[in-house]
Amino acid sequence: MRERILEIFSRIMETPVESLTADSSTATVEAWDSLKHMNLVLALEEEFGIRLTDEQIMKMVTVGAIVGTVTELAPA
Amino acid sequence: MHKTYAQIQAETGEKQLAALPPLQLTVLRNVMVEPIEPYLRYYAKQIGLRAVARYGGYNTLYQEAVGGAPGLLGETECVLVWVKLENLSWDLARNFNGLMAEEREAELDRVRAQLSEIAAGIRRQTRAAILWFGFELPLQPALGIADGSGEAGQRDIIDGLNRYLRGALRELGNAYAIEMNAILGRVGANAFYDARYWHMGRAPYGREALREMAFEAFKYVRALKGRRRKCLALDCDNVLWGGIVGEDGLSGIKLGKTHPGSAYWEFQQEVLELHRRGVLLALCSKNNEADVWEVFDRHPGMLLRREHIAAARINWEDKAANLRRIASDLNLGIDSLVFADDSEFEIQLVREMIPEVEVIHLPKETAVENRDRLASCGWFDTPGLSAEDSRRGELYAAEAKREQLRTAAGDLASYYASLEMTLEIRFASEFTIPRIAQLTQKTNQFNLTTRRYSDLDIRGFAESENADAISLRLRDRFGDAGIVGAAILIYLGEAARIDTLLLSCRVLGRYVEDALLGECVQLAKLRGCRTLTGEYAPTAKNGQVREFYSARGFRRRDDGEFELDLTGEAPKVPAVFKRIDSEMNPQPDGRRESEGWDERTDSGDLQPHYGNAG
Repeated sequence: MRERILEIFSRIMETPVESLTADSSTATVEAWDSLKHMNLVLALEEEFGIRLTDEQIMKMVTVGAIVGTVTELAPA
Repeated sequence: MHKTYAQIQAETGEKQLAALPPLQLTVLRNVMVEPIEPYLRYYAKQIGLRAVARYGGYNTLYQEAVGGAPGLLGETECVLVWVKLENLSWDLARNFNGLMAEEREAELDRVRAQLSEIAAGIRRQTRAAILWFGFELPLQPALGIADGSGEAGQRDIIDGLNRYLRGALRELGNAYAIEMNAILGRVGANAFYDARYWHMGRAPYGREALREMAFEAFKYVRALKGRRRKCLALDCDNVLWGGIVGEDGLSGIKLGKTHPGSAYWEFQQEVLELHRRGVLLALCSKNNEADVWEVFDRHPGMLLRREHIAAARINWEDKAANLRRIASDLNLGIDSLVFADDSEFEIQLVREMIPEVEVIHLPKETAVENRDRLASCGWFDTPGLSAEDSRRGELYAAEAKREQLRTAAGDLASYYASLEMTLEIRFASEFTIPRIAQLTQKTNQFNLTTRRYSDLDIRGFAESENADAISLRLRDRFGDAGIVGAAILIYLGEAARIDTLLLSCRVLGRYVEDALLGECVQLAKLRGCRTLTGEYAPTAKNGQVREFYSARGFRRRDDGEFELDLTGEAPKVPAVFKRIDSEMNPQPDGRRESEGWDERTDSGDLQPHYGNAG
């Protein structure tokens, strides 16, 4: 699941998967602005059949947090 | 069924689209709609274009529209507008019960005035198409179940604003109100709205809503760009009826008003609806031809009749080859076709062999949904229907009778005489402007320059002192073909230029093109011009008119354009018309006999230059 999340992240942010770490954040990934964040959330929700709350969305500010939250919600 | 948002984003990156010509879009809005971008790019890519969208500010819609925003509206080809009522009038949208009657009226006045100003402001800056997403009706009206009991319920009020908006846009020309409530209904409210992002970022619409909005907008874009489809080619077994006629027999197939045949009956009804708005129907079926026609002639459940079918290829050859033959039978480009079949195999084959053909897969397991699959495809849509559209089937039937006469007449001169063709040539008027615009948008083959114009553009030419737009209508003994030709002339001093000259391919091979050019010459002279210039802009489809001007006495200049000296001899119009009734004619009764035959008469070789292709 982690790989799929990273792959989607990498496509939307136009950043290679290899350059991503759990600590990659809005500060280190250049394309990651609030609009791209929305595109990412909408894509992840569809891909994994989940629905995030606004609070969860606001906290997903690092790659690690995204992987953690999505993994927790999505059925394996 | 749909591609996922992640897939769509992956398919529409800068690199994948780099080779495509741009489609300049402008987004004006008072809410955030940016996540629509991948969908805009996706649907543009479908018609071979790279969407380049520029977004106005979130809070500056009014200033951009009314005050001017050349950077946004300067070069645009299409303006998409979202004015969400919540951000235009919170009171009408959410504080409705807090308004006294007179306050509500005052607020409505303010809102209507702003809508008009915004619309007019955009139009002042660009002639491009305006696609305006209308107001959503409240799902839970302010007065609850009492909303409909009085005269001024919230739904009625907002409905009224939508009507006002439609009227204002219609008056503007080339501007269309998109019915947001249809989109809301198709998507469903839960998927349409995204309350989280409305609160976090003033982005009210969910992913599916944005996809459906982009899809709706591109129905207009396709039509205005001349990419709409013209012919639906249908498989027969398990598409028009349930079962296989060759195996189940006439009485064994499922078709009628009760389940399971009702799924096919309703599908046919929808096909017929498309036919009545101008879509040509073709059959492309692996079958014994006689079996299929027997169903058409004898099955009581058939809504479709032989006369609705413009072309049929019913045999055991591969469908890709048959689709190509259907396109050539109808004088259409292969990319005018949509192919519908229940077989995954045939659908894949056509996708691979002829990617230009759009396909609709109609799985027989879910035949009950086939009617909706067809109705929602959007490939045949056109923003306005002309009289010609609704009569197209009839027009093709008349063509078949002409063909019989051609065979019977023996020689062509007597054939033309027996057709009793009359032409009516008029300056563009309120009645003909939409049809002229439509012709520029959809004519591909007999079109010298293939410039696509909106009704607003045509009105511009008609009203300009330095231009004329004319229409040509053809009648013959078999009926009225309607407006089938148009030309636009632009004048610069004593030089006239043919900006556009086109003819529906239905009427080629009858010298109508010569008559139309003759009118252009006549008109240019009347406007005091000494030269007439024509150009040929090659496309993949208009090769047949490459020699149009050079075959008619125009001199090819070094710059590749064609020039006619108007002080010299005019190109001849063959005497095949019973009457040419022209507004351009200086003679008081507006009548003119066509001029004498040129030398082709004597040689007995009356073959028109274009044969029947077109």
